[in-house]
Amino acid sequence: MSFAVITAFASFTVIVLIIGILYVLIAESSLAAGRFGVIKFITSTDWDPVKESFGALTNIYGTAVTTVLALFMAIPVGIGIAIFVTEISPNFLKGPIGVAIELLAAIPSIIYGMWGLFTLSPIMSNYVEPFLKKAAAGLPLVNILFQGTPMGIDILTASVILSIMIIPFTASISRDSFNLTPAVVKESAYALGATKWEVVKNVVVPYSKLGVFGGIVLSLGRALGETMAVAFVLGNNHRITTSLLDAAATITVTLANEFAEADKDVYLSSLFYLALILFVMSFITLAIAKFFLLRAERKYSR
Amino acid sequence: MTREKVRKIEGIIALSLSTLAALFGLFWLVFILGDVLLHGMKALSPSLFTSDPAPAGVEGGGLRNAFVGQLMITACATLIGVPVGVLGGTFLAEYARGRQIARIISVLADIMVSVPSIVIGTFIYAVLVKPFGHFNGWAGAVALAIIMIPVVLRTTENMLSLVPWTLREAAFALGAPYYKVIMQVVYRGAATGILTGILLSIARVAGETAPLLFTSFNNSFFSLNMKQPISSLTVTIFQYAMGPYDNWHAQAWAASFVITVFILALTIAGRLIIKWRYK
Repeated sequence: MSFAVITAFASFTVIVLIIGILYVLIAESSLAAGRFGVIKFITSTDWDPVKESFGALTNIYGTAVTTVLALFMAIPVGIGIAIFVTEISPNFLKGPIGVAIELLAAIPSIIYGMWGLFTLSPIMSNYVEPFLKKAAAGLPLVNILFQGTPMGIDILTASVILSIMIIPFTASISRDSFNLTPAVVKESAYALGATKWEVVKNVVVPYSKLGVFGGIVLSLGRALGETMAVAFVLGNNHRITTSLLDAAATITVTLANEFAEADKDVYLSSLFYLALILFVMSFITLAIAKFFLLRAERKYSR
Repeated sequence: MTREKVRKIEGIIALSLSTLAALFGLFWLVFILGDVLLHGMKALSPSLFTSDPAPAGVEGGGLRNAFVGQLMITACATLIGVPVGVLGGTFLAEYARGRQIARIISVLADIMVSVPSIVIGTFIYAVLVKPFGHFNGWAGAVALAIIMIPVVLRTTENMLSLVPWTLREAAFALGAPYYKVIMQVVYRGAATGILTGILLSIARVAGETAPLLFTSFNNSFFSLNMKQPISSLTVTIFQYAMGPYDNWHAQAWAASFVITVFILALTIAGRLIIKWRYK
């Protein structure tokens, strides 16, 4: 009986930790919350440690822009990989490619970050960004996105690294969902004369869309909280910029760079406030992802 | 063009695009790994493991303090995280099997797996650093343990569920109480799976940087004292790579090389064990 009690306590640590994190972050951020309020903190672009005036908007903006851009690049590639592995690739390649995707997911984010700083960033500033700048120069509206000097330390580079990091998540969950499509359904479509692509487009994808969607939302949750991969190449610039070639700051980068140096109570409390916002944002995103994945699971097991 | 031709061409284009996507993914893997191996091999030397850092800007020196610190933090995190995770998973798969509470905790654990690790760092800072007034190694270990617990818990739960129920019934029939059945029958049946989960969870936390930045912090001297700031490979890589000196950069590459090889080896070992045992 006592063993049962011990194991019960061990499993309740998960609940205790989640409530504990929420409680501690709320308690620690109460000073900043009292001084700046909720709405004002979220909508203010101030980030001035000297004047002790803080707002989260620049950080939230940076997080949102890098995440959306990264997803934009990662989703087609991830789903493409999943289609290749499940439908096109010969059997002997399926295993190795699966392993390769898992290895890509296992590489620690700090390695991505450092590689981004030393290898990708020079490539971006010397080749890719000048090219994009030139290509966009004639187009109105688009050229706003590519203003400024290409430095390689900017939103675009950070988003590329982030997208490489989340490709494996999207790819492996999409692959698992595609694999669950019953062979009979696919064979019926082939029997009607459908081509391979039509089977993928009209049978496999609609059948597994819940799982794929869950995988995308899960990748979104991962990208929101990614720290080290972007900390190297984003700069730490508390400004809202329209150009992708400017440095910016995400919530995570701000925390990583400033937390250990915050010398004033309000400053530290504001950083805790940011952490709280990030925790709530990613918790909700991940809960939505889990909801879709569970529903997908239930649907397939029927 | 006939309709058939259009459909065929459409198919060829779409399928070649997804083949390209697969090549694109492989390209990054080869690019990143190749780069880390290339730069890392060049900077690798025996003194990296045997000597402590030289003063900033001075050539030479090594990262002995960071290697030892990383081992200590990871080992302590494993000692805290694994028992809690395995016992918690046992509760979900055995005592609470099929109950609502087990389902809720599983879902929460799945969410915890992906919660931003830097948030866990801030939480530990408030709980284990601020009250003591200084950064310390234990804080880093606990932060990593918190990341580890849900991973171990979920794999344990899954692995225990794979043990056939009839095996337990056979042990019950011999008069064994439930805890003995779990310890001597169920754990034995699921041992390889649980071990694999532990290996993969170590691989997961060994590369974590964000939760260590303001818990165990960094220490440029050799230290075995977990009550004081202690150096770790990952935080050192961050500091060195952002620093201005070329030999710092070289050492950061070398450290990345070691940590990448270690983590990939653990991951591959884990996958091989699963394949060998469960397929």
